[in-house]
Amino acid sequence: MREHVLILRILNAKKRLMSFIETTGSFAMQRATSFAQMISFAAAVFYRLFMLGTYNSATRTVLVNQIYFTSIQILPAFLAVSVLFGSVLIGIVFQLLKNLGLTDLFGNVLMGLIVTELSPLFTVLLITLRSGAAINTEMAAMKVNQEIKTLETFRIDVINYLLAPRVVNGIISVVLLSFLFSIVLMGSGILFSRVIFGISADVYVNILLNSTNFSDIVIALVKCAVFGFFITFIPIYFGLRATHELTSIPIVVSRGMVSVFAAILIIEVLSLLTKLM
Amino acid sequence: MSREYKVGIFVICAAALVLLALLFLAVEKGLFSTSHTYTLSSRTGDGFAVGMPVVFSGFDIGRVHSLELDDRGIVLIKIRIPDKHVKWIKEDSFFVLYRPLIGAARIVVNTNNLESPPMPEKKVAEVFVVNDINDAIEKIQPLLETIERLSRRIDGMAAKADEQVFGKEGTLPQINKILKDVAGKLEKLETTVDNLNKISKDASEGTQDLGALRADIDEVTQTLNKVSRDINALLYKKKDTEIKLP
Repeated sequence: MREHVLILRILNAKKRLMSFIETTGSFAMQRATSFAQMISFAAAVFYRLFMLGTYNSATRTVLVNQIYFTSIQILPAFLAVSVLFGSVLIGIVFQLLKNLGLTDLFGNVLMGLIVTELSPLFTVLLITLRSGAAINTEMAAMKVNQEIKTLETFRIDVINYLLAPRVVNGIISVVLLSFLFSIVLMGSGILFSRVIFGISADVYVNILLNSTNFSDIVIALVKCAVFGFFITFIPIYFGLRATHELTSIPIVVSRGMVSVFAAILIIEVLSLLTKLM
Repeated sequence: MSREYKVGIFVICAAALVLLALLFLAVEKGLFSTSHTYTLSSRTGDGFAVGMPVVFSGFDIGRVHSLELDDRGIVLIKIRIPDKHVKWIKEDSFFVLYRPLIGAARIVVNTNNLESPPMPEKKVAEVFVVNDINDAIEKIQPLLETIERLSRRIDGMAAKADEQVFGKEGTLPQINKILKDVAGKLEKLETTVDNLNKISKDASEGTQDLGALRADIDEVTQTLNKVSRDINALLYKKKDTEIKLP
């Protein structure tokens, strides 16, 4: 009798183990398929960005509006935050370097860490919080209201009309705003290097030039462009996955934003690896 | 001002700023200028790397372009110097590979006489190595040896002191023995002091008895004086004194 119970228990455990493995496998396959679909869609959108036919008058109007909402409207606040945050950051870093006796390395730290790493990250986080979330919600709402279906009914290309201008706007905005942030940081650097290290603007510029690698700047610009692409593409992709129920909006928005943050981290790590190679 | 106009201004200005900065960087880095290649030599390739900066008076003036090993096993280091910095490389210039404790290694160009003729590109100059890490280790080595010697000596002294203090014939057992003797003697002294106290007490009591005895004796003496006077009164006619009291 006890042997029968034992055998039954073993069979149950085996069944549960099989079920667990199946669930895990199914989940992994689902994720992999979803990721592959997203990459494939991203490739299609990326390809479309280089097609001249994509940019008709409607697309251009949407692009101008998107750049206006993402970059121009935010510009005064962005510059104010850049001056405040950048100055404090530069001041702290320079003081720390002086205390550690690493004054010689301040050019490398400023260019290698703050300008090429922190400023794109800061910019992309700011734009993601402001515009990424807005795009995600806008797309989800359009899907719920069946506006996407209406556009398709009128044979309006959704990629050309909705995706291309937003993605191009993401690329342009992140690259330009990140560059402006770097300029503000370097401007603060002139002031703080004079106050903390007592060096003149000429010497400061020379030190910066000595510490700058052309390849690092190119990598930083490419990274900004990649950031810009994904922080607009991912929210659109997840927004378009909303169902026709209003309750699906918060679900796709939260999924989209989490995915955007994951993408930011992955791109950051990849750029660091590129620098190491 | 229309929205299109604002966007246009922003995009054009920011893009121009980016392009100008990149152009400035490219020009300053000598991307568009022609350059001269000099060959340096070293017995070892340790510390050298392609892309390593060549520095004059703390400023980058060029880069290591390539590293080669010749037939004699000598490492040849080819450095590229842009036209505008060639003026710092002279006939009497000497090259030092500087490997600081913190920071990247670099080749430092030292030119004593800037008026001397330019260094020919065919000349192969030797690179001297200044290594902060090895220098630091070399400087610390004698200090470490002294510390080790001192440590050994202190160990020996400690062992000797142990033997002298805690050994069989050491100071501590002798002190213990003396202390035991002193303790025994103190015990005996205590008994003696007790006896002395007792004797003192007895003597004090005896002194009180002696006082009473003295009073008795005084009284007897007075009585005897009186008796003597009485006898003298009875015998006043006699010339010589019959009885004389002390």
